Amino acid sequence: MSEVQSFLNGNGDERRALVVVFLRGGADGLNLVAPLEDDGYHRSRPRIALGKQEAVPLDGFYGLNPLLKPLETAYRDGALAIVHAAGSEDNTRSHFEAQDLMEHGGITGGGWLGRFLRAQNRTASGPLAAVALGKAIPECLRGAPAATVLQSLDDFSMGENRSRLTQALAKLYGMQTDVLAGAGRDTLEALQRVEQLRKSPYHPAHGADYGRDDFSRGLLQIARLIKSRVGLQAASVDLGGWDSHFSQGTLMDPLMVRLARGLSAFYQDLGAEMQTTTVVVMTEFGRRVEENSAFGTDHGRGSVMFVLGGGIHGGRVLGKWPGLSREILEGPGDLPVTTNYRNVLAPILQRHGAGEKLGQVFPDFSLEPLPLYG
Amino acid sequence: MPLTRRKFLRVGGSTAALLATVGCDQWPRELRVLYQPAKPGGPFQPPATAEIDAVTHVLNRAAFGARPGDYERVRQLADTPELAAAAYLEQQLRPENIEDERAEFAVRRFETLSVPLGELFEYQEELLHNELMRATLARAVLSERQLFEVMVQFWSDHFNIDPSKGDCKWLKVADDREVIRKHALGRFPDMLRASALSPAMLWYLDGRVNRRANMAEKPNENYARELLELHTLGVHGGYSQKDVMEVARCLTGWTVRSTNQKPYFEIGKVEFKIHQHDCGAKEVLGELVPAIPGNLNKAERERRGKAELDRVLEIVTRHPSTAKHIATKLCERFIADETPAGAVEVVARAFSRSEGDVRATLRALFQTEEFQQQRGNKFKRPFNFIASALRATDARTDSGIEIIDYLRRMGHAPFNYPTPDGYPEPAAPWLGTLLWRWNFALALGENRIKGTKVDFEGLLKNSGGDDGLMAHLLGRQPSAEETQAYHDSGAGLALLLASPAFQRC
Repeated sequence: MSEVQSFLNGNGDERRALVVVFLRGGADGLNLVAPLEDDGYHRSRPRIALGKQEAVPLDGFYGLNPLLKPLETAYRDGALAIVHAAGSEDNTRSHFEAQDLMEHGGITGGGWLGRFLRAQNRTASGPLAAVALGKAIPECLRGAPAATVLQSLDDFSMGENRSRLTQALAKLYGMQTDVLAGAGRDTLEALQRVEQLRKSPYHPAHGADYGRDDFSRGLLQIARLIKSRVGLQAASVDLGGWDSHFSQGTLMDPLMVRLARGLSAFYQDLGAEMQTTTVVVMTEFGRRVEENSAFGTDHGRGSVMFVLGGGIHGGRVLGKWPGLSREILEGPGDLPVTTNYRNVLAPILQRHGAGEKLGQVFPDFSLEPLPLYG
Repeated sequence: MPLTRRKFLRVGGSTAALLATVGCDQWPRELRVLYQPAKPGGPFQPPATAEIDAVTHVLNRAAFGARPGDYERVRQLADTPELAAAAYLEQQLRPENIEDERAEFAVRRFETLSVPLGELFEYQEELLHNELMRATLARAVLSERQLFEVMVQFWSDHFNIDPSKGDCKWLKVADDREVIRKHALGRFPDMLRASALSPAMLWYLDGRVNRRANMAEKPNENYARELLELHTLGVHGGYSQKDVMEVARCLTGWTVRSTNQKPYFEIGKVEFKIHQHDCGAKEVLGELVPAIPGNLNKAERERRGKAELDRVLEIVTRHPSTAKHIATKLCERFIADETPAGAVEVVARAFSRSEGDVRATLRALFQTEEFQQQRGNKFKRPFNFIASALRATDARTDSGIEIIDYLRRMGHAPFNYPTPDGYPEPAAPWLGTLLWRWNFALALGENRIKGTKVDFEGLLKNSGGDDGLMAHLLGRQPSAEETQAYHDSGAGLALLLASPAFQRC
């Protein structure tokens, strides 16, 4: 074997996959994971607060929205951690600005995931190292070495009946003595594996039950790619529509159902492979603590993040709860951010091999990684 | 005796001899007619050597690859491939002498390219971006001024601007025209100054909000930092955080009128506001920039405030680290990912001596042994791959969004790079793009790309059959294995375009 790094032939366990789920529109953390024991919460939301009886109790203080109940298993397994009052330093309360800042990882070029992958792949990068499920590459993957946008696995193919061509290419690339040899081999290998995937119907393992919506389907494709060891390092998938200014329930309920169903199916489907996989769920900001006249909530600051994956010391709600008294709230009455999202991502990226490059991924920020793993 | 075009054409066959005896610098201006634009369609002679010769080498490196007939046309410029290659480079260094009707005609349809700065805001940003991308590809494919287009790409990366930021959506069009294309083969100091005052750059690197109306206000360092780190000295160029700060202070007060300001007709106008300028004394890289006394009249203070920009640019351009930084990047682009130290030194010296004359610098680079010897060792970036494939096949293309989409997939669409460092040049980050290259090769070979057409039969015939076609696309005679693969593949043209050899330049 040449000195060229191979992405596919190594020990699959060394490959770790990071899945980023972005809830676009500013998801209301207080409605996803409610601070049931904080009276301020019930006072501020007389009509839309979760009742102590309906929520899924987590730790005596917080309760999970009942529509997120499918996530309870992972939480009880210790594989799911929740971070409350998490978010960014951006206080514009503008979707665009806040998403931009969060995905770029500061006022800087390129996305944090893109920079992470570049730092990882100084020597080379595989054809399916970074995948965005959807129609476009999200900002967090900007600047990544060759991020691939896939709507389905069919997009990763050379078409039907190309075996003569691919064999001829295999021969020529096999003769190379430099980096092209490895790149060619990896590409052909990835093609072959995806080809096999496409031919065989996919049966999610362990009775995992994905929905038929785009979010579930995206996660399903990601699960397939992870299981087939095509060198996937990072994947992103969005779930949008959380901008619940009015009739919050009508808007958020179906999204929560989709979120919980997709994530729990993914968790079940991957089984032991979850050990080398991390899913992080984030949103650009939370909502105003006080409900508005239209049964909704306006743009706020702190929200929640979910981290699902191997090695996590989960089954906990992390992050400092600041309280909801008036002098604590920020600006027009928003939950302050007590955990910067970078401090949630930092330990995850460490686990995924960032090493000393972490500073490059999050420049101009002094990190205090959250103890997710211990 | 003045040489007329017609007279010169009559000399015909003796030109090669003439070239061999005359030093590059003394070539008469009329030599331009030697370089006749390609006449597509006729039979041509592909390379006959077993390895890439000097002619193919310069077509790979200083151009976006050879079109049918290019090899033969360049080879005939002199007796040996080396002299012919040198003659070609010398022509290419004088793009003003090269007629370029085909490319000019092709980009004429992209109206927004010539819209004046103040009117760009009337166009939809998507249209502007698309036309700019399409024109860039069209020029790379069609222009006879290949080295010029190569350098446009080089400087577009060097002074990268991501149009997705703020008013850059509109302003990048003007930056491409007035900064990059205007100075691509000109003088570096001129280009740097144009860039420093480019409305798009003032937006992109926050120069427009770099101000200090009072001592409590903190200057915005973004542009100052990138000016030193990326545009001039380089990251290890020997400047300190203090220098960044001091440069930022010197540049306070420059701003650009943005879309949310009135009056509407002055959007994009660059202004200097003395009351937002830090008039204190500064020290940049050890050189003193004196304070501007408050008792001077406003016009004089304004003049001195503005002059600090030129002072800063002068200090940084003649800093030896800048010569080394630019030389290293040029060598990385034209010689090898691992830049040879000897060549870097030679090129840096030429840069310093010529005070940043891009032509003189490139001339020195092309004369290095490293440039001449290191052939076929570079990995084409995706844009270069696509452009060279379209050129090699003599494809008729509208350089449409279908092709741009292939570039997007490979992460190399023009003007889509977010950070100020520009698309990376070395191979490593691009190695994951092979599949999309192969898919493009197939789609092109089978005429499945909307708006782009290849006349395969004509190409095959004109190159003299399978062997000729292989030699044309590989830039040399095929190996036994390549010949075998070509015939076995069932898709000969796609195989060649997808082959390892075609990914290199």
